[in-house]
Amino acid sequence: MGGETELLKDPEFQRLLVRRSRWRWGLSGLLIGAYLVWGIGGIYFAEAYAAPFMGIALPWGMAVGFLIIAMSIVLSMVYVRVVNRLEADEALEQDKHR
Amino acid sequence: MIGGGTNVTAIVVFVAFVSLSLFITWWAAKKTHSAGEFYTAGGKITGFQNGLALAGDFMSAATFLGLTGLAFIGGADAMLYTVAITVSWAFILFAFADRMRNLGRYTFADVVAFRLQPERMRVLAAAGTLTVAIPYLIAQMVGAGSLIETLFNIPYLGAVLIVGTLMTIYVVFGGMLATTWVQVTKAVLLLAGGTVLLVLVLSKFGFSIDSLFRSASDAHPRGKGIFQPGVLYSDPISVVSLGLAFICGTAGLPHVLMRFFTVPDARQARRSIGYAVVIIGYFQAAIMIVGIGAIALLIGQPEYVDDAGRISGGVNMVSIYLSRLVGGEIFFGLIAAVAFATILAVVAGILLSASAAVAHDFYARVIRKGDISDDAEVRVSRIATVIIGAIAIGMSVLFKNVNVAVLSTIALAIAASVNFPAIFLALFWRGLTTRGAVAGGVTGLVVVIVLVVLSPTVWVNVLGNKVAIFPYAYPTLFSVAAAFAVTILVSVADNSARAQIDRAAYSAQLVRSETGENS
Repeated sequence: MGGETELLKDPEFQRLLVRRSRWRWGLSGLLIGAYLVWGIGGIYFAEAYAAPFMGIALPWGMAVGFLIIAMSIVLSMVYVRVVNRLEADEALEQDKHR
Repeated sequence: MIGGGTNVTAIVVFVAFVSLSLFITWWAAKKTHSAGEFYTAGGKITGFQNGLALAGDFMSAATFLGLTGLAFIGGADAMLYTVAITVSWAFILFAFADRMRNLGRYTFADVVAFRLQPERMRVLAAAGTLTVAIPYLIAQMVGAGSLIETLFNIPYLGAVLIVGTLMTIYVVFGGMLATTWVQVTKAVLLLAGGTVLLVLVLSKFGFSIDSLFRSASDAHPRGKGIFQPGVLYSDPISVVSLGLAFICGTAGLPHVLMRFFTVPDARQARRSIGYAVVIIGYFQAAIMIVGIGAIALLIGQPEYVDDAGRISGGVNMVSIYLSRLVGGEIFFGLIAAVAFATILAVVAGILLSASAAVAHDFYARVIRKGDISDDAEVRVSRIATVIIGAIAIGMSVLFKNVNVAVLSTIALAIAASVNFPAIFLALFWRGLTTRGAVAGGVTGLVVVIVLVVLSPTVWVNVLGNKVAIFPYAYPTLFSVAAAFAVTILVSVADNSARAQIDRAAYSAQLVRSETGENS
C-alpha cells in the first residue's frame, strides 16, 4: 500500500488531479446547467421561445436548443484533445524521470 | 406493407444486412475463444469503431422512430429530449470514460467491486444489469414485432422469433466482436439513411430553414403554437426529472458501460465517447429537423394522417411514411430495412451485457469465487446467452400488448437509480461503503417500481384509475435522490470493519483510475 500513497502526496500528481477535475466538473456543469436553464426557461417564457430567430421562422427556443447540441459536440472534441494531450505529456515526463 | 403489396427493396436490403451480419459472426467466431475476447473483443476495438458502436447502441428504433414521432406530435417540446440526450453523452465522456476504463475489465461490476466487498457488489450489479436488460430487451422486441408486422407483413410471432434467434446467434458465436461490427454496420446504415432523409426533406423546401418552419406552422392546426414549449411537459420538475433520466440513466446502461472495456486504454475510451457525442448530437439535430418537416409534409395527407391529426399505425410510423413521401418506394424500403437492422443490433448488445452479468459477475465471481477456467467461463456465458435469449423471446410473445413506453421508462429509471449512484459514488467519493451502496441500490429499485406503478402511465393508463397518485411520468428525480440519500446516510453511519477497508482502499483506486497503472 506504500506506492500509491506516495504518489498521492506528490505535488505533480495533485496538480494533475486538480486539473482533470476542473475540466471534468467545469464542462459537465456548463452543459447540464445550460440544459436546465433552457428547459425550465421554456415553461415561463413559452411565447418568447416561439418568436422567430433573427428574422427567419426558426423559433428562438429551438435555435438555442441546436446551439446547446453544437456546444456539446465542440466541448467534447476540445475535452478529448486537451485531456489526451495532457496525458501524453505526462507519460513523456514520467519517461524522462525514469 | 402499408397499403398492401410487398416492398422488394426492403426485403433485398434486409436480407443483405442479415447475410452480412452472419458473415461477420462467422468471422468473429474464429477469433473469439477467451473470456476477454467474448466479453470485450480482447480490448482491440479502435476509438472510432467503438464510437460508432456506442452511437449505434443508443440509436435504437425508439430514438430514431420514437423521437421523430415525438417531434411530430410535440413540436418544439421534443427538443427537450434531443438536447438532454446529447448532453447526457457529453457528461458520460467527462465524468466516466477514463476512470471506468482504467478500473474495469469486462463489466461495470468490476468497477464497483474494485474496493468494496466484491461478492455483494457483484450480486447488486448483476441484479442492476438484469432488471435493466430484461425490460429493455422485451420493450425492443415487442416494438420490433409490431413494427415488422406492419412493415413486412410477417406475423408478430414470426417477427419476434427472427429477431430473437438472430441476436442469440450473433452473441453466442461471435461475442463482443460480432456484436460490435453488427452495431457499426447498422450505425453507418442508419446515419446514411437518416442523412439522405434529412437532405430529401430539406430539398422539399428549397433548403430554406425559414420555409421549412413556416410551412410546418402553416400546416399544423395549432399554428405557431407548435413552437411553444409546454405540450409534453409543463412544470420544472418534469424538466429536471427528464434530464436526470437521460443523464444518469444512459450512464447506468450496462450495455453502454460494457463498451468502455472494448478499447485498449483510457485515451481510446475518451476518443470513442467523443466520437459518440459527435454522431449522436448530429443525429439528434437531424431528427428534430426531419420531425418538423414531417409536420409540414404529412399533415393534410389523408393516407397517413386522419382529420384528428392521428398518424395511422401510431407515431412510430412518422419517419417511415415521410421517407416514402419524399423518397418513393425504393427509399421507403431502405428505411424500413434499416429500422429492422437497428433493432437487431441493439438487442444483441443488451443480450451480451445480460449474459456477462449472469456468467461473469454472478456465476464465475460469486458462486465459483473466481475458481473457474477461461474455457468454462466462456461456455457458461454461451449457455446463459441462449437461456436469456429464450426467456426474452418467450416473454415478448406472452406480453405482446405490454406498453413499450412504460417498459423503457422503467429500464432507464432503474439504470439511473440503481447502477448510476453506485458507480458515481464508487468513483468519486471516498466515504462510500459496501453497506451504503447495497442499501442505496435496493432503495432505488423499490422507489422506481412503486412510483412507476403510481404514475399516470400505469395507474391511469394501465390500471384504469382516474387520477394518478404520483403525478409525473418520470420517477427519476425522486428515485435518484432517494438512492443517493440512502447510500450516503448509510455509508456515513457505517462503522463496520468492512467500511474501514472500503474507505482505506480509495487512495489506491484513485491512483489506478487516474493513471491506469497497477499500484
